[in-house]
Amino acid sequence: MSDSTEVRQEADRHAPKRHIWTMFARPEIGPIGVMILLFGMLGYFSIPAAESTWNPFAGEGFNALGIRNNLRVISQLGIIALGAGLLIIAGEFDLSIGSMIGFAGACMAMILRWGFAILIPYISFEGGIHIEYFTVLSVDHVTPIWAIFITMCFTLTFGWIQGFIVVRSGLPSFIVTLGGLFFLRGLTEVSLRAFNHRPDQSAGSTTVTEIPDLKNIIDLPEYGELSRLDAKSLPEADLVSMAQTLPSDTIATLTERLAYTYNRVAEAKTAIMEAKGVKPLEKALENAVQSGNEYMVNAIQDKIENFSITPVVPKNVSDVDVARAYIDTLPTVNKVADFFGGNILEALFDWLYFPIDWNTNNFGNQFAPGLYSCVMIWVILSIFCYIVLSRTQAGNWIYSTGGNLSAAQANGVPTNKVKISLFVFSAFCATIFAACQVFEVNTSDAAKGNLKELEAIAAAVIGGLVMTGGFGTVLGIIVGAFIFGLAREAFFYIPGIDGSFYRVFLGLVIIASALLNENIRKRIMGNI
Amino acid sequence: MTQSGLPPLIKTNNLVKKFGSFTALNGVNLEIHPGEVHALLGDNGAGKSTLIKILSGVFPATSGEIEIEGKPVNFTSPRDASDAGIGTVYQDLALNALTSVTRNFFLGREITSFNSPFGLMKMKEMDRIASEEMAKIGINIADPEQAVGTMSGGQRQTLAIARAIYFGAKVLILDEPTSALGQKQQMEVLKTIKRVQKLGDIAIILITHNEIHARLIADRFTFLSLGEVIGSGTAEDLAGDDIKTLMAGGAEIGDLTKELESI
Repeated sequence: MSDSTEVRQEADRHAPKRHIWTMFARPEIGPIGVMILLFGMLGYFSIPAAESTWNPFAGEGFNALGIRNNLRVISQLGIIALGAGLLIIAGEFDLSIGSMIGFAGACMAMILRWGFAILIPYISFEGGIHIEYFTVLSVDHVTPIWAIFITMCFTLTFGWIQGFIVVRSGLPSFIVTLGGLFFLRGLTEVSLRAFNHRPDQSAGSTTVTEIPDLKNIIDLPEYGELSRLDAKSLPEADLVSMAQTLPSDTIATLTERLAYTYNRVAEAKTAIMEAKGVKPLEKALENAVQSGNEYMVNAIQDKIENFSITPVVPKNVSDVDVARAYIDTLPTVNKVADFFGGNILEALFDWLYFPIDWNTNNFGNQFAPGLYSCVMIWVILSIFCYIVLSRTQAGNWIYSTGGNLSAAQANGVPTNKVKISLFVFSAFCATIFAACQVFEVNTSDAAKGNLKELEAIAAAVIGGLVMTGGFGTVLGIIVGAFIFGLAREAFFYIPGIDGSFYRVFLGLVIIASALLNENIRKRIMGNI
Repeated sequence: MTQSGLPPLIKTNNLVKKFGSFTALNGVNLEIHPGEVHALLGDNGAGKSTLIKILSGVFPATSGEIEIEGKPVNFTSPRDASDAGIGTVYQDLALNALTSVTRNFFLGREITSFNSPFGLMKMKEMDRIASEEMAKIGINIADPEQAVGTMSGGQRQTLAIARAIYFGAKVLILDEPTSALGQKQQMEVLKTIKRVQKLGDIAIILITHNEIHARLIADRFTFLSLGEVIGSGTAEDLAGDDIKTLMAGGAEIGDLTKELESI
């Protein structure tokens, strides 16, 4: 078997390079470097000017509120980047994501605000020719889950149609979804104006407001379902009697917690007042030193040393406070609305405030109530996409559809189904994004999601995907979303520069990543 | 090596293929025996590609029939042909250069839990099978997770052949397997073909332009020209010069020499 040893040598030619080589040939290595750089930038630039520290986590970018807000931007982009990215790996594009977000948000908001009806128009000849409507179905109050479901029916169908046109006609998906971009945005504006139409104005506005704050509706014993805000503003006598019916250990926990907050607030107030009082004296001292009036200098120094104010007395915890705190602890009735628009990790952030005292703002109150739940949805979707792409047959089909379409077809991969499914998935991600927005802010606007499709594609490219398809990982897409979101925040904190420089920076990063990705791809493709 | 005693694996009777008014194949009869390398030779446009596309189910014949182990078959898709045991390795090999050896080996037929596209792939088992199957026909891959793009042309050819055999090919159609390769890799592919032949029960149809390669490994030859069989026979039947002449579609190479001299 002399020739098998010879063949083995040929095969082993790549083996020695393996460890270091594959590490640098991994598409995520560059983006991860940029991400770490941006983490550092965000940390250091957001350190308040007065403090000098080497710890980047002392900066405002990494306090509780900073983390909450950064992760919201990152995860919202991350959700749509997953949809866009998987489609890019399969060799297609979706430019309609942004418009799909606007459309889905408007659709959901309109259903929540005005209900849902199916009408069939027909031409009536009675009393002159005019159009009549036959009502098949009409529901005034639609629950969040149904609002999302009905919206999904529209958006997923639209995604399916786009995919179907692309695979059947062979047209570039760029053109087909560009059509989708204009079509959906226009449709959103038209329908919002039509539904907002009032007799006194020619056309309605393109927003939906006055949706009840569904995620904050609770079921209060004896009062039924009402919003937290309404519950807290019940007559004080009612709140007092409510507090008295609570079990004693609940009262004890709530009281302890409230007392802690009131103490922290009082301390913070005292500190602020002290600083406020000393500040003019320090200024006066500076002037006195300059003018050389020694008597004044001594007098002012004396005053600063002896400066003290009476500490602010913490508020007493009353029954009304306990009742209001208790209302905050009641679970929501609309689990679905809370799932999309509420907060997560509230217990952790509570603990970080009391007793850890990290999640505390300058006024002594709790800083962040938790993370936006879109973070959790992003994590769930990312894990799902990672498993599908890297571990399942479907993932292998996605890679091969984008990597070598004819090879995939020759091996019996249903490439058309793969592509259409991914167009549908992209629409799904856009709808999830819209659901997060609608249930969080309880409004919708036709301009929502503008340019998001390009941001999603940019995040995917930064994360190591190649526009021709077949190449990239979910980890890369996640890192891309991180880079995009971090850059925005980091540049905002750089002193003395325009925050829009983040776009300049991202532009350069996109081009650099695209060059790098192409290079890695060619290295992997070898010399064909 | 010829095992003429066995019945043919594939037999075609009077295959005719017309594209509109153009006759691509005009009544081709072919017999392919197990354990044999059957070289299909002919100039460009002779109808080789049309013939193998009919055999692999890409399109149906206009008339005539195909018999597999004595039973007439009717292919409506490439899937039918591969289910019937005809594995075609095209020139582009149908490989995705960006993914690993294993992922290519099992492309479209991955081993998954629950038998669903969303079931997890059994990667370890697939890695093992891919390595074993490639070792059987002579290539030990160092790393089944290696990207196909980093493999040599000969190794890729081997991968495609091993894949076809593993998924039940009794007849292996190799479409110009040596055409785009360097000298050393051509030899590698020929060795691979020889090893497949030695397995004994697989018939190989080798389409090639290169009469040296054909003569090195083929047991039986069929020459096509303008859609018709213009000659066939075993390696012993045909003397060297016949092959060259028949390759050129019957034209005399000697004539060419004279023509060239006269320019």
